[in-house]
Amino acid sequence: MTRSNGNHDLFENLRLELRRGCLSLAVLSQLRTERYGYTLRKALAEQGLEIDEGTLYPLLRRLESQGLLSSEWREEEKRNKRFYRLSPEGKLMLKQLGAEWQRINSSLKEIL
Amino acid sequence: MELVDRYLQAVEFWLPKRQRQDIIAELSEDLRSQIEEQETALGRKLKDEEVEAILKRRGSPLAVASRYLPQRYLIGPTLFPLYRFVLGVLVLGCVVPRFLIWLGFVIVDPAHSGYLHMENLWTTVLYFVFFTTVTFAIMEQSGVKLGAVDCWSPRKLPPLRHPNHIPRSSSLFEIAVSVVCYLWFVRLFWPRPVIDFYGAEITLAPIWKRLFAVMVLAAAINLAIGLVNLFRPYWTRPRASLRLLSDGLGAGAFCWLLKAQVLIGISAPSLPASKAIDVTALINLCLAKTLPWAIVTTVVILCFDVYRIVHLRSFHLRGGSMRPAVNNLSNSMVSGS
Repeated sequence: MTRSNGNHDLFENLRLELRRGCLSLAVLSQLRTERYGYTLRKALAEQGLEIDEGTLYPLLRRLESQGLLSSEWREEEKRNKRFYRLSPEGKLMLKQLGAEWQRINSSLKEIL
Repeated sequence: MELVDRYLQAVEFWLPKRQRQDIIAELSEDLRSQIEEQETALGRKLKDEEVEAILKRRGSPLAVASRYLPQRYLIGPTLFPLYRFVLGVLVLGCVVPRFLIWLGFVIVDPAHSGYLHMENLWTTVLYFVFFTTVTFAIMEQSGVKLGAVDCWSPRKLPPLRHPNHIPRSSSLFEIAVSVVCYLWFVRLFWPRPVIDFYGAEITLAPIWKRLFAVMVLAAAINLAIGLVNLFRPYWTRPRASLRLLSDGLGAGAFCWLLKAQVLIGISAPSLPASKAIDVTALINLCLAKTLPWAIVTTVVILCFDVYRIVHLRSFHLRGGSMRPAVNNLSNSMVSGS
């Protein structure tokens, strides 16, 4: 493995680590209005936050099992789709995480 | 859509039963939405190769399924360092001494090396690894709380180590043992035609004179090193080299003694002459059989001595002081440097 490859891999690892926490916050914020997986992914991508399906669906499941989301299967355009929305706990969590994000962001702005 | 169905079936295989249907329904819906969107954009049905490309981008069925599964491990990150340490101690403690003794027999006494079968060794190692792993896996799964992790206190941590430091207690012990053994050995085994050994008269081969001199010299050097260590309790390269020399001399002479059939005769008032010959032969045989073990012990001691010198050398090359750095550390903490 060359040094530049090693650096690239390291960057990828650190980038993924950096993104991981942000994605939960982004997903929670987008689910203030009800969406199903595919439209949620597109909405995030349109705002510059690409997220692959392999990350999004397990994340949605985890957030739901933690009580932050609720979901229901419903028919739309002749197909069954699973719609997600924030639960009351999710709304509270989003508020707290949003405040924390603002605090970290302003600190980082000073530091960087 | 056959490719999609086959893909979903392959993912389904790896999913837990309870969630299977739900996950597959959602994944299927997402895939079909993506395909439909592309078809709308292109204004035609997707070809098999295009569907294949979409599926390839999703990842292998096993990789996709694994993202839905909770992270699982046999031994978690908290217990793993302890597991590795225990395994290392057990395996090294089992493999290295036995291998060295086997090697000693192969070199010195090949005819009797057979009773240390190396095949048994690998079975023993496998048992150690298996039972240690099972024990730690059970500890992990049962959520055993370790005192070292949950109830530790900085005050109970081991004292700061310095590799070059020699505890005074160990120097004192070494000096005391050396003096007692030295006096006993010199008084009892001073080379003479017949040695009186607690009532028994033993005759030793002429080589004993030389071996005795070497052993006494080695003991004298060790005693001198012990005395210096008492007042200057840290290793230096000259002292460490001298220790290597004295250990080499002493251990070499001892191994030679075992090999040299040094006992010529033994006599005691209660021992008939015929028996005395048998006893002499038996003692010489026992001494010879001990040789491989003595060689292994010698090699271990010498390796340790050499390691000490190498360590001191590298420590010196790194610019470290030979003296313990504890005070330096404390001072730098106080001054904040």
